[in-house]
Amino acid sequence: MAIKRRTAILVALGIVAAVVVALWKPTVLIYGMQSAGLYAAIAIPMGLVLGIVHIVNLAHGEFMMVAAYASYFACTASGMDPLLAVLPAAAVTAGFGLLVYKLTIRRALKSPELNQLILTFGLAITFSQGVNLLFSSQTRKISLEYVSASLTIGELSFGVWPFVFVFVAGAMAYGLKLFLTRTTTGKAALAVGQNPRGAAIVGIDVDRTYGLVFALATALIGGMGALFLTRSAIFPGVGGPFTMKSFSLVAMAGIGNIPGILGASVLLGLSEALMRAFRGLRGWADIIFFVLIMAVILGRSIKGRKS
Amino acid sequence: MILDVKKLEAGYGKLRVLDGISLSVGKESVGLFGPNGAGKTTIINAIMGIVKPWGGTIEFEGTRMEGMATHLVARAGIALVPQERELFPGMSVADNLELGAAWVPRGKPIMARQLETVLELFPILKERYRQYVGTMSGGQQRMVAIGRALMANPALLILDEPSLGLQPSIVAEVFDRLALLKKDISILVTEQNVRESLRAIDRGYVIENGAVVLEDTAAGLAVNPHVVSAYLGI
Repeated sequence: MAIKRRTAILVALGIVAAVVVALWKPTVLIYGMQSAGLYAAIAIPMGLVLGIVHIVNLAHGEFMMVAAYASYFACTASGMDPLLAVLPAAAVTAGFGLLVYKLTIRRALKSPELNQLILTFGLAITFSQGVNLLFSSQTRKISLEYVSASLTIGELSFGVWPFVFVFVAGAMAYGLKLFLTRTTTGKAALAVGQNPRGAAIVGIDVDRTYGLVFALATALIGGMGALFLTRSAIFPGVGGPFTMKSFSLVAMAGIGNIPGILGASVLLGLSEALMRAFRGLRGWADIIFFVLIMAVILGRSIKGRKS
Repeated sequence: MILDVKKLEAGYGKLRVLDGISLSVGKESVGLFGPNGAGKTTIINAIMGIVKPWGGTIEFEGTRMEGMATHLVARAGIALVPQERELFPGMSVADNLELGAAWVPRGKPIMARQLETVLELFPILKERYRQYVGTMSGGQQRMVAIGRALMANPALLILDEPSLGLQPSIVAEVFDRLALLKKDISILVTEQNVRESLRAIDRGYVIENGAVVLEDTAAGLAVNPHVVSAYLGI
């Protein structure tokens, strides 16, 4: 009851803050929500892996970068629109993810967490430097007419395409919720995440489930790689900052809390947009996630000490 | 025989825990008794594929099982109620029970019927059907764990210290339920509470220092001087 009341108070405060910001600086709300959608859509697959396979994948953003490069070359060679590349990119990245899981991550699951971090950090470097060696550090972008569509409300004019990521994030969160709570395979994945030994005892193949979840997460991030092409230019290091931000969002939300990732993304997106709204603070916007994660960890520590 | 274990050897690292244990379970209820560290849980873990045996054989319904992965042992028809329950605390009673049958060929086709049987056996689970298991008491969680194992429609039900951490009234309830179950399912139960478990078993083994030191019927064990002095505290 107390938790519900606290949540209701937080939601009410959030709505009040959003209304104040919307009236005071509407661009903060618009650009903040657009960024939040992108961050959430990228962070949710990382949250899935951390919640079930219990591994922090520091190569998460690099999987997206590799998928974005593959989609870029497929689209420029065939003239295909990146939107049509979303599903093929997801399928190919899922296969690639499964291969990486089987060859590397699977072998480190029982190792200390530091070894797992070093492994995925190594994968991240291998992916970004591999792409750098093969295709140089030159930025690449596909020009698309529909992404420049804009909307004008009064004196305010803004692009509408980035809102696509808000819908993608929502659909991803809802789809995963349905998968994890309504399907036998999803429930098995949830069970493996909560208690791998208990899952094996009831006949669930834990290793296969880990592989499946990792492949699903890389499929989602692979699809995002193709979609990312519609919004930004790509270069070998483009994934790194998203890995860091995704990790901070997943940590803020709490392990396995996918709706929490949506909330944390809104907080991060709005905070960044707010910083960018002030000339002297713009340069600090990209590191605001550090401040937020420290605040959340500090809050949890104080709460834990009290309880 | 449903389960036939011969000369089983197992341990952890360099520590030998089981020293050539042989035991069998037919269409009956069998108890494994012994002090802490005797090797009871290691026998269970070796049967379930949680611990890899160093030697010996484990045969279940005519198939060799030693070294088989845990999920395959479960799918073959052995259900375990572990000492630590090993439930899914963030999931409801309904989901925990469903997962007990969903991946086992013997349980999946008759899931609805098994659910009815389990809810009849443990009416409290019907009341708490949508409750998260992590919010339930230890005794209720034990019932979920037994119910989850029964959902698999197992040929052999193994219970590792089912009375551990439970208050005496709940222990009596658990063993009453086990006494009912033994009519339909083969049961292998390890227990330190020998007095209660003798009510629910047909036959028992006493394990000490990784070896079988005594084997008898429940009635025979109840009057055996070693069992009486060491385990019944008379």
